[in-house]
Parts: sequence; structure tokens; C-alpha cells
Amino acid sequence: MAELLASGGTVEMARAVLDSGADAVYVGAKGWSRRRAQYEMGDEEVIASARYAKSLGKVLRVAFNTLPASHEIPLLLAKAEKFVGAGVRDFILTDVGAMKALSERFPGVQIHASVGCTIVNAEDAWFYKEAGATQVVTECRVDREEMRKIRQEVGVGLEVLVHATTCFTYLGRCTMSSYTRQEWRFDDEGKNHFLGSPNRGGLCYRVCLTEWDQRRGDGSLEAGGLVLPNLAYFLVDDIPDLLDLGVDTIKIQGREYSIPLVGRMVRFYRDLIDSYLRDRSSFRMEAWKERMAGIITERDAERREKTAGLISESGLSA
Amino acid sequence: MSSRESSTASELVLTVASPRELADTDLSPYDAVCLGNAYCRRFEGNFAEHPGLLPGAVASLHAAGKKVYVTSPAAPRGRDMPHVERLIHAAASAGADALEVHNMGVLRVLRERGIPLPAHMGAFANVYTHLAAQVMRDFGAVRVRPNAEVSLAEMSVISREAGVEVEILAHGKIPLGITEKCFLLEGPEETDPGCPAACVEEHWLTAGKPGGKGQRSGEGAWVLKNVGKGVLSGKDMCVIEHLPELLAGGIRIFKVEGLYETAAYRSEVGAAYREALSRALSGREYAVTPRWAQILRKHSLNGFCNGYYFGRSGQIYVGTVLQGGNSRV
Repeated sequence: MAELLASGGTVEMARAVLDSGADAVYVGAKGWSRRRAQYEMGDEEVIASARYAKSLGKVLRVAFNTLPASHEIPLLLAKAEKFVGAGVRDFILTDVGAMKALSERFPGVQIHASVGCTIVNAEDAWFYKEAGATQVVTECRVDREEMRKIRQEVGVGLEVLVHATTCFTYLGRCTMSSYTRQEWRFDDEGKNHFLGSPNRGGLCYRVCLTEWDQRRGDGSLEAGGLVLPNLAYFLVDDIPDLLDLGVDTIKIQGREYSIPLVGRMVRFYRDLIDSYLRDRSSFRMEAWKERMAGIITERDAERREKTAGLISESGLSA
Repeated sequence: MSSRESSTASELVLTVASPRELADTDLSPYDAVCLGNAYCRRFEGNFAEHPGLLPGAVASLHAAGKKVYVTSPAAPRGRDMPHVERLIHAAASAGADALEVHNMGVLRVLRERGIPLPAHMGAFANVYTHLAAQVMRDFGAVRVRPNAEVSLAEMSVISREAGVEVEILAHGKIPLGITEKCFLLEGPEETDPGCPAACVEEHWLTAGKPGGKGQRSGEGAWVLKNVGKGVLSGKDMCVIEHLPELLAGGIRIFKVEGLYETAAYRSEVGAAYREALSRALSGREYAVTPRWAQILRKHSLNGFCNGYYFGRSGQIYVGTVLQGGNSRV
């Protein structure tokens, strides 16, 4: 049965999503995941949250899914060792070298190839499987046929994001934010947080979402006030298909959102999945769409506020 | 000939998308050419879309003493993979010296089919660590181009530890992103009458206001280049001031980004870098000449940048000669 995985941006959020029906929670190790430090956890918080998950018979997964510097790999392995020692067996990674190092050092751990790997075809999934991944997150526009191939022919776990952003560019292959503003900041452990790089440190200034003018070669205005498309999505119609396809994990992103909102999203998907699995033939989508609409309104309001703050922080003079 | 002989330890490589771009460019400064456009399969005359063009182009470039590489689509969907396989076979049988690979699936296809074509990992392959480069090496990569965000200090580690050559973007627009849909078209690519002409014209994305009093021109404003299925830096990466330092750090492969530029850009920027590299490799005193600076300024309409290499914002320029360059915004 598909696992429902949700975000744990804080210890409180991790508890809330597990209490709201998630089977598993993912958390970022400070400095090591695709969000900034305020949505990540210190080692003791990770371990305490893992213990809580285990007490409910559920799973905690640690995200190490930034692209580090070569000399930071030993820091990653040391941190992983601490978590493995505390019973954590599930990790999310992006750097294929780090993936291989971790799977060789800790045989038997579960390694998920992150959304940052930009897995767009079944051959990609093969590559990551051979590098040590036990499950892969597919890029958000991968079609059903490719998912089926990954699940059945490649034979690696398949994970799909149902609440996330599409990004203007391919997520994991974009450096528009760090081109605009990047600062190196080292924490006490010596980890660089690469502020401004979503791929390396997790902070994205979302510069695509500012207002752009498009100009011709001679400088004349071609179009004004453009916003590059980058939508937050919330999959509902696709859930029955994904379950029929045998998807292993359905993932809800949301570390930056408020705990009540994330809790509502988790409860929504829990109920939807359970309802469909109880009786596939008589399942009707309409009521779920109504319930979803309220959540989306709330989500969009939180996202708008966050985006405006980030663009302003990136240093663009308005 | 003396400059070419003294440069045997280094390689200056140019990207060229189509036969027309190839014919219009003075290739004499370059040691190698990478053929094709990895952003968009539909780019007019794209070598990476028309395998039939490869035998002739490879043969004539080889006859001119150049190495020849062929690029492959940066983010191929499953439905694109049969084409990618045909492209790889065509590049191998045309005698290309390497395949440029951005996508891990393509790298695996290359190995699985047993095609004897070395791989050069491209800008979108997300090479950040020596360990990742080693995994790619085990799949057949002999060269990597680290991601734009990777600093010179990190590149030195990769160059030393990974057992592969390291290529650096020496001059030109930095690839910042690839998109699924063409941003210059209203409708689907297949039917929109704007394709493939739309991306032949220049399109710049600008935001913010021009610099005010006390600010340099361009400060507080952003400019990016929109090429339809890719976002490039508005400013030109430029390392000409830093060549001796790069050589000391073990970098030998220098790329000039020729995609979406004019023939004059490709020809003249290449000539300036050829002279600069020869000078830097000679071990004699090195300084950017006014002529090189004049050529580069003429072709870089929004100024220069290289901040990524020094752990800063990508759009910042670190240096003392070419700072505060042009800006049209």
C-alpha cells in the first residue's frame, strides 16, 4: 500500500503530520536539505522526532538532499552515522557521489533519490538505482507510462510529489536564485549553507516570480509585467491513478507552510487515499474537489506572502 | 603556429549549434568544437537533432585539426530516448571524439549499448563533488563541466581527485535553467508559427530599476537572457583576468559559449582568449591587454560576471580590469 509521506519542518510539525495520518515524515538535517535552516532540525531534534515516529510504528526520513562541496562529504557521513546509530534507516539524497558513499558505508539503509535529481526518464531511474538508490522521486511532469516503466521494468521504488511547486525551470537544474544573490555561510560544524542556492543550501529567492519586462535586442520593450510560470500544485484527480499504478510513496511538501495548514493537507490526503482504497468502484471525486478548494485558498495566501518576502530579501530594488 | 604549439597543454572549445553557425565562425582560435544545442531539439539546424549532418561536419573539422564533440538533449523525456539513441550511434559512427551528456539516463544508455564514445558531462549534469564525478567516470565520463555554482577551489579538488578532466566556462552566458515549455511561444511547439524563428531574435528579461545616483549602472537591477527553453545569464562569464590562476589550479579545458551569439562574437572572443591563453601558458608576465578588453566589452552588452567561481553571487564580477562593465539596464 502506498505510503503517505509529509513534511516535518519543525519538531511540532513532524508530530502534527504523523498525528494527522501520515505514514512517514521527512525532516532536513540542518544545512543539508533543500530548505533554509529555520525549517530544518538539529541532530537531537531529528533523533527525538525519529523516536516519536517509531513509537507510532511510523518512519522518519532524513533529507541530506543538497549538493555539497567535496570536502563536506565526511561531515555528511559523520552525521549519518549519528542518525543510523539512533535507529534512522531512511535518507533522501541528491548528489550521486554522496549516495554511493552512504550506501556503501551503511549497507541496508534506504536511499531515496530526491526531486533534485530531476529524474525525467526511466533510464535516469536505472542510473540512480545502480548508484545505490532504493526509491526515486520523479520530476513533476513525468507521465504515467514512464512511471509504469520505472515501477515495473526498472524495479525501483517510485515516489510522487502531490503537493509541491512545478518551478519555471526544471527543479534541480536551476541557478537563477544564486546567480542573483549567493552568500557562503558556515555553521559551527563547518557546513556551508550556500545561502541563495536552493540546490546547495535550500534557500531559493524565487526570482522567477518577480515581475519581468521582456526586451528586444535593441532594448525596446517587448512585453511588460511578465511573471514566469511557477505554480504550486495540489494533485487530486491523479490520486486514484497513482494508487492503481502501485506508487510506493505519495509525498506532500510543505515545510515552509503553517502547521495547521500542513495538518489539514495531510488529513485530506489520508482520507482521500483511504476512501479510494476502501471501495475503488464506487469512489467519486466531486466532494473531494470541494474540500480541496478551501485548502488551496489558504495555501496560496501563505505562499504569496512568503514569495514577496523572499524576492525583497534577494536585493532587488523595487 | 607558435601559439598553437605552445597551447598543446590546454584546450579552447567552442559550442556551435548549426551548420550555418559553423560556416560563419572563424574557428582558427579553437582547438575543439562541440556541436549542437542541448536546450531545444527544434532549434533551427540543430546538429543534435539531425544525425545526418554529423559525418560531414566531423570529417571537415577533423581535417582542420579540431577535436569534435556532439551534445545531447539536456532533459530528454522517455519519448525522446529513441532519438537520443540514434544520435549517439550517429555521433560514434561519424567519428566524433566525445558525446556531451547532461542527463544521467543518456549516460547510462551510452554505457548499456556499449557505444565506444567517451562522455563529457555537461553544464546541466549537476557535477558538484569529486565523488559524483567518479560515479560518472565509472559510467564512461572522461571530462566533467561542474555546475555553474561550483567554485574554483572546489573544481581543483574535482580535478585532482576524480580522475577526469575538468572543463570550465571561460567566457559567455552562464546556463541558469532549462524549461519544459518554450517561453517565447503561445501554443505548442509543433503548431506555433513562431517556431523556430522566435529564438533567433534576442530576448532579455529585466527587472528592477536602473542604478540611481551613487550606483554603478545596472546595480539594483537584474538582466537575464531568455532563449525560449533556457534561461541564461544576462552578463557574460569572463575569466580572462584569472587565467594564470586557473592554470595553476589545474584547469586546462576552457569553453567559450557560442550558442545564441553572433558569428563575430564567437570568432573575436575566441581570438582574444587564444592570445590570452598562449601568453598565460608561456609563463611570461601576464596582463589583460587593452585590445582584449576592448573586444570583450564590445560583445558583452550587459557587462561581465564570474562571482560563482569565488563563492559569491553569480552576477558579481571579481577582478580589477574588467569590473563595472557595460550595462543596458
